[in-house]
Amino acid sequence: MAHGAAVAHGEHEHHPTGWKRWVYSTNHKDIGTMYIVLSMIAALVGGLMSWAIRLELAEPGIQFIHDTHFYNVLVTAHGFIMVFFVVMPAMIGGFGNWFVPLMIGAPDMAFPRMNNISFWLTAAGFILLMLSAVVGEGPGTGWTVYPPLSSIAFHPGPSVDFGILALHVAGAGSILGAINFIVTIFNMRAPGMTMHRMPLFVWSILVTAFLLLLALPVLAGALTMLLTDRNFGTHFYEVAGGGDPLLWQHLFWFFGHPEVYIIILPAFGIISQIVSTFAKKPVFGYLGMAYAMVSIGVVGFVVWAHHMFMTGIGVNARAYFTVATLIIAVPTGIKIFSWLATMWGGSIEFKAPMLYAMGFIWLFVMGGVTGVVLANGGIDTAFHDTYYVVAHFHYVMAIAAIFAMFGAWYYWIGKMTGRQYPEGLARVQFWVFFIGVNVLFFPQHFLGLAGMPRRIPDYPDVYAGWNFVSSIGAAITMAGTLLFYYVVFHTLASGRKAASNPWGEGATTLEWTVPSPAPFHTHEEMPVIAGGGHGHSHGHGMPRPAE
Amino acid sequence: MNGHERKRFATAAVLSCVAVAMLGLSLWSPTLYRLFCQATGFEGTLRTTNVPPPSGTTATEVLVRFDANVNSALPWRFHPLQREVRLRLGEEALIHYTAVNLSDKPITGMATFNVVPEKAAPYFSKLECFCFTEQTLLPGQEVSMPVVFYVDPGLAEDPTTRDVGTITLSYTFYRSENQPTPTASAAPPSSSTAGAGG
Amino acid sequence: MPMRDMIRRLLFSMPMVCAAVVALGIAGAAAQEGNVGEARPWQMGFQDAFSPVMQEIHQFHALLLVIITTIVVLVLALLGFIIVRFNAKRNPVPSKTSHNTLLEVVWTIVPVIVLVVIAIPSLKLLYHSGRTPQADLTLKVTGHQWYWTYNYPDQGDFSFDSIPIPEGDLKPGQPRLLAVDNPVVVPVGATVQVLVNSDDVIHSWAVPSLGLKKDATPGRTNETWFRADVPGVFYGMCSELCGVNHYFMPIEVHALPKAEFDAWVEKAKEQFATNSHSPVRLAANGSQDAAR
Ligand code: HEM
Ligand SMILES: [Cu+2]
Ligand SMILES: [Cu+2]
Repeated sequence: MAHGAAVAHGEHEHHPTGWKRWVYSTNHKDIGTMYIVLSMIAALVGGLMSWAIRLELAEPGIQFIHDTHFYNVLVTAHGFIMVFFVVMPAMIGGFGNWFVPLMIGAPDMAFPRMNNISFWLTAAGFILLMLSAVVGEGPGTGWTVYPPLSSIAFHPGPSVDFGILALHVAGAGSILGAINFIVTIFNMRAPGMTMHRMPLFVWSILVTAFLLLLALPVLAGALTMLLTDRNFGTHFYEVAGGGDPLLWQHLFWFFGHPEVYIIILPAFGIISQIVSTFAKKPVFGYLGMAYAMVSIGVVGFVVWAHHMFMTGIGVNARAYFTVATLIIAVPTGIKIFSWLATMWGGSIEFKAPMLYAMGFIWLFVMGGVTGVVLANGGIDTAFHDTYYVVAHFHYVMAIAAIFAMFGAWYYWIGKMTGRQYPEGLARVQFWVFFIGVNVLFFPQHFLGLAGMPRRIPDYPDVYAGWNFVSSIGAAITMAGTLLFYYVVFHTLASGRKAASNPWGEGATTLEWTVPSPAPFHTHEEMPVIAGGGHGHSHGHGMPRPAE
Repeated sequence: MNGHERKRFATAAVLSCVAVAMLGLSLWSPTLYRLFCQATGFEGTLRTTNVPPPSGTTATEVLVRFDANVNSALPWRFHPLQREVRLRLGEEALIHYTAVNLSDKPITGMATFNVVPEKAAPYFSKLECFCFTEQTLLPGQEVSMPVVFYVDPGLAEDPTTRDVGTITLSYTFYRSENQPTPTASAAPPSSSTAGAGG
Repeated sequence: MPMRDMIRRLLFSMPMVCAAVVALGIAGAAAQEGNVGEARPWQMGFQDAFSPVMQEIHQFHALLLVIITTIVVLVLALLGFIIVRFNAKRNPVPSKTSHNTLLEVVWTIVPVIVLVVIAIPSLKLLYHSGRTPQADLTLKVTGHQWYWTYNYPDQGDFSFDSIPIPEGDLKPGQPRLLAVDNPVVVPVGATVQVLVNSDDVIHSWAVPSLGLKKDATPGRTNETWFRADVPGVFYGMCSELCGVNHYFMPIEVHALPKAEFDAWVEKAKEQFATNSHSPVRLAANGSQDAAR
């Protein structure tokens, strides 16, 4: 660990170049960039899969996926890729790595070598997951991997084992990453950067890291038992051997519910930074915002069985999980109202990041209110495993997270590459994508209400209408996505030079005090954050004279 | 290592312990979960006990129905000899299931069981039953399997279970993973024909 | 003030109006012959309700829909106002407000109140649907890859498999992916205790118009119940991913007047006599590969 904080000085002379710069990288910015690139590659794969699914569902009857097991494999792989290899790498590994050290005035992450390992484990996980689809018949279990469907009797090939390994490896990477973030945030803040002055994005990564640390090992344990059940004759989930398939569901969702917050909490942080920057106002109710995230994280661990209302758990347990889940709506409401209040009285510029932030609020509210519906164990009978759920979680988590990622990309790309994106094109991209996802997912509420189950490659003819509309939406979304990739290309190839602070007075966090692109090493001399009383508790720590 | 670094490693060590502890809990969960279910009746887990019913029965009656299932990998026939009994709370009851091995080989089966509604489970106590042990049936052999149980009077006092008028006890027989080895089996080869008629 | 009053009254009466519309719909549906529990093209809401639990689900959802629509509209209105009023052109100088304790308390307390308003009917519905009343008969449902087996323990303990009808064999009027060869039959108005079980992987037995959904999990028996209030045909689909044919293991329930049900039982007892007590099924083969 010679590369600790000591790395700062005296390494300018031999900072590596060529492929070594990346493969052996211990630099938080380079590693962050690699995460973002990985995410963009995985998003193409996972996105293509979802468009294949939507194409299949465009009309009743089997269109082109005649092997319906392959359809299940597509759904499964899409879910895994999007969750573990698109959203998590981009938000936590990508923007987290890039901006947590910059925002708290640290020269790098606490353990730069471990940071490198985290990244390569994630990349290896992605490769293993892709392999799982080509060795054997592919895992057709859904991302929930419920046994006995995932057991050796019903998935005899090696695919599920590869899938398990993929999650193990990527999970190990994420746990190491989580430790790295927590240590960095606890121990490497610049003088004056107290916990209550940290920007909300840093808070969001901190809470996320704790969720990762507590939830991922549980998934790892559950997966290990599934692996030994499949290969070494244990019966943790095997009824015939005295095991219990419901144990898997409890363990999976004990991990799975916090997992959805792992996906959305960094988005909260990003949206807070963007909203405050473009409204040119400090975040409204900073402390409430920070502790709302903490309480969402805590309560998120005791609501898992709302995914299991139909499994036969008793009525008293269902009542408890109904009430506990409803309670989460309170801190969630605080977040939404605080964003609105931050904008209130502001002098808002509707640049692309801000458009995405406002789009995020719309998506998150839409998905949030259907979440309040689904929280009720009594009414979930009508909704469980229908397209209503698919619509709900894409609004509240999946697409909302993508909005935050697009917003973050536009917000920080100047800092990361030194080149600014084309504003006009970016706005067009926003509108195409925004219209696309709403046409895609809104009608799925209707399908779910009318009883259409999820995870099916063909459906009764009565559901044809809204499915067709939804698939049109998918085509528009695809256009919006490809346009995004073009904007990326355009920015890198011929973007204007970005100023060190392209956003003006509203952008007050530390990353805007360093040049654009941010140099290889930043904050080598720790900046000192001027105490501004409580006024500074809005993540507006400004260095005294910079450097 | 300077002071800063030491602090960093200390934090990382604590966090690693937390992660390892969570992993440990997760791997320990099969046991913890079973204990939890037994303690609370979660998942319809009945109470198994060797204490006889607490003194006295109450006038309140409850209907207990019996259900039987056989997994298709197990060539047995299995059903309750009586569909239901009506008994007073606290009253001890003896009922029988019967199982026949329809195949021409000795086979070991193992039963899982639960009661519905799930919330009544903590009040359903059984004293003797075949489910703890694996059962080996010789070809064509038919056995009667007794279940002795009572429903605790607490059922009528608990506000969440006061409305329960019917409890269903359900068993499912599976083919056990531990099958009798041919040599260990005492079955005479000639008895294989008996199985066909069973 | 009168304006605000009117809005308030409108808002408060909405759940009632919705409930009334739903009730009218149910009554109307019940009046006609040949009720069908199935979605309609371009349907935007629930299927018609034909059981007490589904009716309650309709009513509760009507309330929820009003609440969530109000929330969404409120947020949209605020966003709209912010866009119009607080853009950089109209408001060049941003305010510096970043606290308002009263406001923060209000937007914590008001959601709590709304949640209580939701939780009370929610728990009522939960406990009602979760409590099986004194049953008139028991129906046993067993999931297999990829069909259902039904058993009538109280009517002579006969069993039969309910196999989905492939597209080519459909008769006129039989919906694709929903019709089966041997539907479940129940008497109208009878309380049916349903015991759900599985022989292989997890399935879920679901009939939307009867407010039914319960996982079929191997090794444990789950209970649910329903009462078909009108004669009719009610369709459902397996609702837990169970392998290659998950999309094609439908559920078809027929509710018949008592006399017709009794006649059906007599016929079924003979037709399915050979099935009784026979646990060994030819169709049951665990491996997906074998099935493909
Ligand atoms: C780009 C646009 C996207 C489209 C068009 C899309 C579409 C779909 C479709 C069609 C399904 C299958 C529904 C079913 O058959 O049950 C699905 C499932 C799913 N999607 Fe997406 N999706 C998108 C983005 C995302 C993102 C960003 C995430 C990440 C968080 C995500 C996470 C999931 C998950 C977890 C499932 C469930 C998989 C399962 O059932 O096992 N999706 N999506
Ligand atoms: Cu959840
Ligand atoms: Cu299924």
